[in-house]
Amino acid sequence: MPEKKEIVINSRADTIGLMDMDVRPYPVTPPPTYEEVKPVYERRKALEFCDWAEKNLRFNYRYQKDESLAGLRVLDIGLWRLGHKFCASLYGEAGAEVVTVEPPAGDPLRKVTPFGREEYLLQNQESGEKCGIEFVLETVNTHCVTLDVETADGQEVFKKMASNVDVLIDGMPPGFMDGLGIGYRQLKQANPKMVYVWIGMLGQWGPWKDKQSKFGQWMLEPFASCANSWVHNTGLAQDLLPRGRGGDPTRSGVWLADYVAGAQSFINSLAALYWRDELGGTGQMIEVTGAEALMDILDFDITWYGFNASIKARSGGWDPNLNQYAWNPCKDGYMMIGGQTDKLWYNIGFCLEREFTQFGRLIHEDPFLKEMGARNALHALIKTYTLTTRWLRDVNRVEAETKLLQYQLAAGPVLFIDEVAEFPHFKYRPWVYVHETDYGPLLIPSSPASYQVRAPFRCKWMGRDIGYDNYEIYMKWTGMTQTEVSAFKQKGVM
Amino acid sequence: MAKDPRVTRIEELPGPKSKGEMEEFKMPYEEYCKKLFDVGNEHTKPTALKGIKWLSCTMYIFTPHAVANLAELGAEVIKIEMPRMGDAMRHTSPFNECYLYPLHDTRPMTGTGLGFTNANVNKYFITMDYHVPEMVDVFYGLVKKYDGLTELYRPGTFDKWKMSYRYLSEINPRFIYVWGGGFGYGPKIFGGSYDILGQAHAGLASITGMHEFMGGHCTKQTNWVIDWQSGNLITASVMAAIHHRRKTGLGTMIEFSQVQVPTRMSGYSFPLYGKFGVVRQRWGNWDTQLAAHGIILCGKSDFPDAENPQDKFCARYAMVSAFQDADFKELCAITGMKTLYEKYKAHNQRAEGEAQVEIYGALEKWAADKSRSEVCKILNDAGLLAEPVRNDREAYESPHYRERGTIRWLDDPLFGDMVLHAGYSSGLLEKTPRRINWHWRPVGADNKKVYRDMLGVPLTKIKEWYDKAYI
Repeated sequence: MPEKKEIVINSRADTIGLMDMDVRPYPVTPPPTYEEVKPVYERRKALEFCDWAEKNLRFNYRYQKDESLAGLRVLDIGLWRLGHKFCASLYGEAGAEVVTVEPPAGDPLRKVTPFGREEYLLQNQESGEKCGIEFVLETVNTHCVTLDVETADGQEVFKKMASNVDVLIDGMPPGFMDGLGIGYRQLKQANPKMVYVWIGMLGQWGPWKDKQSKFGQWMLEPFASCANSWVHNTGLAQDLLPRGRGGDPTRSGVWLADYVAGAQSFINSLAALYWRDELGGTGQMIEVTGAEALMDILDFDITWYGFNASIKARSGGWDPNLNQYAWNPCKDGYMMIGGQTDKLWYNIGFCLEREFTQFGRLIHEDPFLKEMGARNALHALIKTYTLTTRWLRDVNRVEAETKLLQYQLAAGPVLFIDEVAEFPHFKYRPWVYVHETDYGPLLIPSSPASYQVRAPFRCKWMGRDIGYDNYEIYMKWTGMTQTEVSAFKQKGVM
Repeated sequence: MAKDPRVTRIEELPGPKSKGEMEEFKMPYEEYCKKLFDVGNEHTKPTALKGIKWLSCTMYIFTPHAVANLAELGAEVIKIEMPRMGDAMRHTSPFNECYLYPLHDTRPMTGTGLGFTNANVNKYFITMDYHVPEMVDVFYGLVKKYDGLTELYRPGTFDKWKMSYRYLSEINPRFIYVWGGGFGYGPKIFGGSYDILGQAHAGLASITGMHEFMGGHCTKQTNWVIDWQSGNLITASVMAAIHHRRKTGLGTMIEFSQVQVPTRMSGYSFPLYGKFGVVRQRWGNWDTQLAAHGIILCGKSDFPDAENPQDKFCARYAMVSAFQDADFKELCAITGMKTLYEKYKAHNQRAEGEAQVEIYGALEKWAADKSRSEVCKILNDAGLLAEPVRNDREAYESPHYRERGTIRWLDDPLFGDMVLHAGYSSGLLEKTPRRINWHWRPVGADNKKVYRDMLGVPLTKIKEWYDKAYI
């Protein structure tokens, strides 16, 4: 229990440090215990299976288990974006030896921080070096080295490193590495078994390929999601809210296309490694772009245009394909209700009817709404959600969830970040947990792939100071001596 | 034999070794890439996952997509559906508008809904009712021949039918078993889940959409992004498990919860809350970490005379990015915001909330008498980054995706012409490209192929099963 102390808050700056993990323990309420969860398992007569699952899949056992990609060498070079970093992190979480190459000044992403506030940079507790949260979070289990690949010496070193890797992840602008003589077509001579993955926004070739401004500024997300209609299709329609006041196309809160491209790069490159080892014997070039990887998962939107020239419009928290399947405002936020099949559709109605009898008459007795497919028509959505929101406006999220869950429905509130962190199931798994990093204890999300019988993904460390692993990695990967590394350091190459 | 120092062997010299290689080296990089990926000839190249065989006991989008990724990479996949019903997604179509024919016994009235698109490419479709013990034996026969399966039933359901990893790993120790669902072990283990629940529960919704002061609400990401991206991450786990199995000979079980995926993708949100107690909020079309880097509303539509309201009224948004000092200076010079440049010279000054309100406000004022493409042209001509927010028609007509083959037509023998925007777009591979052979097939279309041609079940038996609704 932390001791009590007197504090004075005059500005935001005075609050820094007051909420730190070692001052304010997390979680505020303890996670559920097994004894509390056991009755849930028993009620469904699945105790034996659930116990088996807990014993074999639990997050807590991850470090005792094998690492699936141990032995693979991955080299990652890139700046600014999360795509190549997320891909490298996946390799790191799965146990590969990953090295991230930065220029001697470091990746500018290290300086990026919410609303430009330097007080939200993380500080390495040993060295005092500061780093942005997003950089730390997306360099999981990766070694950080510095190298100026624009110098001849740097290119020589880079070539040596690349001649021994299984995967090279290139997050630089189109043709940048090739122009320096260290791109795929040059490196494949020395290392024909290498899988080379380029990750970008729109492409390294083609009419809309990635551009830079005349001052050298890169394209970053959401350029990718603007180019494939994702942004156009997201947000509230102007007949729900006025344009310019909320009824506009809307970008995702996160750099979404980067995460999708990172995942697809990991899949494609692992498949290429499988082919190399089992069948083909050689490496290859792969290109993944945020715009296209996100377009791959854009439901059917462009197919729909090809079907009848429909251009998908925005529909806010409603889904145009299912009814009910939406969130709508309630007394203290937003409540999501889902249930499309007849069974679930009527269960929603039975629940709402208890307090709002008109719902049954207007919805259940409407002959148009009786056929499952027909309910997805726009006017049917408007009617259903208008009446549902009429019920929701008088209940808060907890009440609504409690009532709806009695009817076996998938229903849940829109949770804010602090509520997510305190959500019992999230704490039990745990999906967010406190990890001791070089930057002190951090509340981080766990990898969704950490729940496996044999070789779960895991975070061992995250974030590194600029060039932290220079000596170790250059000695190990290129055979350089300490003196040589130091000499390069002095020349500014590392 | 000792090397003769007087002899120069071309193989030992750096640089190209043959005329062909020489030409490859001299080729401009873009042309080289284009030649490398050789769009349109995917089917003349080998597939990466040749020989991998997977069972897809899946429905909706999340788990089917996880397997479709493997099928696009060349794995042989059987999708098992409930007899007579099929995947619920077949009944789903945007606004109930689009269904693809032909009609068949499970969809006698309407055909297959467009909601089924993209999640089940290249699969063979069979039907099987797991409730029937006789069919579970047939299922075991498939497990012996296959590398793994992906299922989505409520936890314990497959266990009750003796089809869980506990049982299957005894039949086939190399078997890789994936459960994909909402929550997994823990207090909400039996909670149902959808994409939208993942978006709502895991914090993504609370940080997407216009802030209250902008007049907005939190908004759903347009696609079932958590379903799809969770599917991608399952495939990622499966690929790692396949590599692990190559070394150890052992299969595994992967329990994958989609509700967690948006949490993993929420950037700085959780550490910021943990360390500083700050609860991240939604920030509309601007960026919480970079400025200027956001989407602005322009005064005029690019297509004022178009018939489609999406073209006519909504072609008004542009993504504008000038966050580095020199770029921001130039942006201010072009748009007449000189005072703003003086005020916010440093990036950390202009990234502050109040500064962003002022900057984007001034930008939209500047753009009030211009169309989206005028805004982009002015900025692009000045060497700055700007791009129109494009709609589905513009993506479809884009020369970029067409040239790269990521949007193309498929002439399906059963369902006719369809535009593809998936599969090929998930990544270009030089030697083992991903590909789409067919989009989907009717419920049970491959029963005969699988039950007779693969498992040797006589046709009379298959007919008997069909009549009893076992398949």
